[in-house]
Amino acid sequence: MSFVSVNIDQGDETPVKLTRRALAKQRTRERVLAAARRLFSERGYEGATIRDIAQAAGMSTGAVFASFADKSELFEEILTADYEVIYAQMIQAARNAKTVDEALLGLFGVAYSFHVEQLPLLRANIAVSWTRSEAAERRARTELKRVFQLIDEALQRGVEQKQLKSDVDAKLLAEIIWDVYLANYRRVVYDGWSVEALLEHLSNQLKIILAGAAA
Amino acid sequence: MGVRNEQKAATREKVLEAARDLFNEIGYDETTIRAIAERAGVSVGSVFTTFASKAEVLSHVMDHRLSELYAEFDRVVPFLRGSTADKLCSIFAIHYAFETRRVKLFLAHIAASYNPSNDPGVKPYGRNPRLTQMLLDVLRDGVSKGEVREDLDLPLIADTLKAAYAWNYRMAATAGGVLPAAQMSAVMDKQIAMIAEGWKPR
Repeated sequence: MSFVSVNIDQGDETPVKLTRRALAKQRTRERVLAAARRLFSERGYEGATIRDIAQAAGMSTGAVFASFADKSELFEEILTADYEVIYAQMIQAARNAKTVDEALLGLFGVAYSFHVEQLPLLRANIAVSWTRSEAAERRARTELKRVFQLIDEALQRGVEQKQLKSDVDAKLLAEIIWDVYLANYRRVVYDGWSVEALLEHLSNQLKIILAGAAA
Repeated sequence: MGVRNEQKAATREKVLEAARDLFNEIGYDETTIRAIAERAGVSVGSVFTTFASKAEVLSHVMDHRLSELYAEFDRVVPFLRGSTADKLCSIFAIHYAFETRRVKLFLAHIAASYNPSNDPGVKPYGRNPRLTQMLLDVLRDGVSKGEVREDLDLPLIADTLKAAYAWNYRMAATAGGVLPAAQMSAVMDKQIAMIAEGWKPR
């Protein structure tokens, strides 16, 4: 299973028929993205300026702005690329599972494994999510919706298989489950928990959360 | 306390108050140590002799605020009535009402505690022993009254409730910091009711 983001590893599939100019432009973007990823991880979102990023990428601020409108676009592009990498695996983990718990632990397990490896970037993302602009918030929500859809599918399947009551408030359940999933990252940040420890904790939390909904 | 120590304590107090107001008014990232010193009417140097960093100032501001809140709670808790779930709803509603008085400050505190470049002086968000204790007391009381099953892991329930409580502030963040506390506590009430459904003895 690969957790390498497209930002880090370009892979060996080079798009065909790129003009030299387009190719140069793409390389510039990749250099900026790699430098930005490193600086956001080291200094957080606010702490990394476009100027620092340009310098780390060995180019002018102007050249950075030629590829990205602003810092938030740059940051979002990194996160989106990461998200694309794990989303497919989350779908697979959720759909291959037999029970609700298994599906949820499967999909969050993918996320934990990925983010724990890249904890500083996740921290920067969580930090910025509390204070970002409304437009950035809306953009982030479209991705979040797809994850919530996976959670919802898992819960609905639980209802169909009579593991959960037919009248469960799936939206509310999904929200609490998402809350505990996220809140658990504090244990990694401050207590150095492993992915296994996180999943065990999440599994126990799910028992508490789903107890009232069990058929 | 000597004159010197008294002065030091007074500076500290002034700095924390100025920082609290600035963080809430213009935001944490926008607030410089210099601006804090100016508002507090002290020198930049004296801020740095008291606190190692801006993040540490924020941690202390939050600690300070919590001691105000829990002084309030000490008076209120003995009068909480109703079921275990009702009491928990009240506890969280009081927290929401308190934090929304300066919600931007609170959001900044959460954000800062996740920042990857944090120094060790920063107090983690979600490490609030008073809140945890209060929740455990209510849950234990619920067990003794037969409202809550006795075979449950109560600290885990408290942990789950705290996660829901904390992340409900996202609603305030999404609303740009302008959100009535009642909207968050209404959601929290539903979440508590749902978890309570699972802890009922059967």
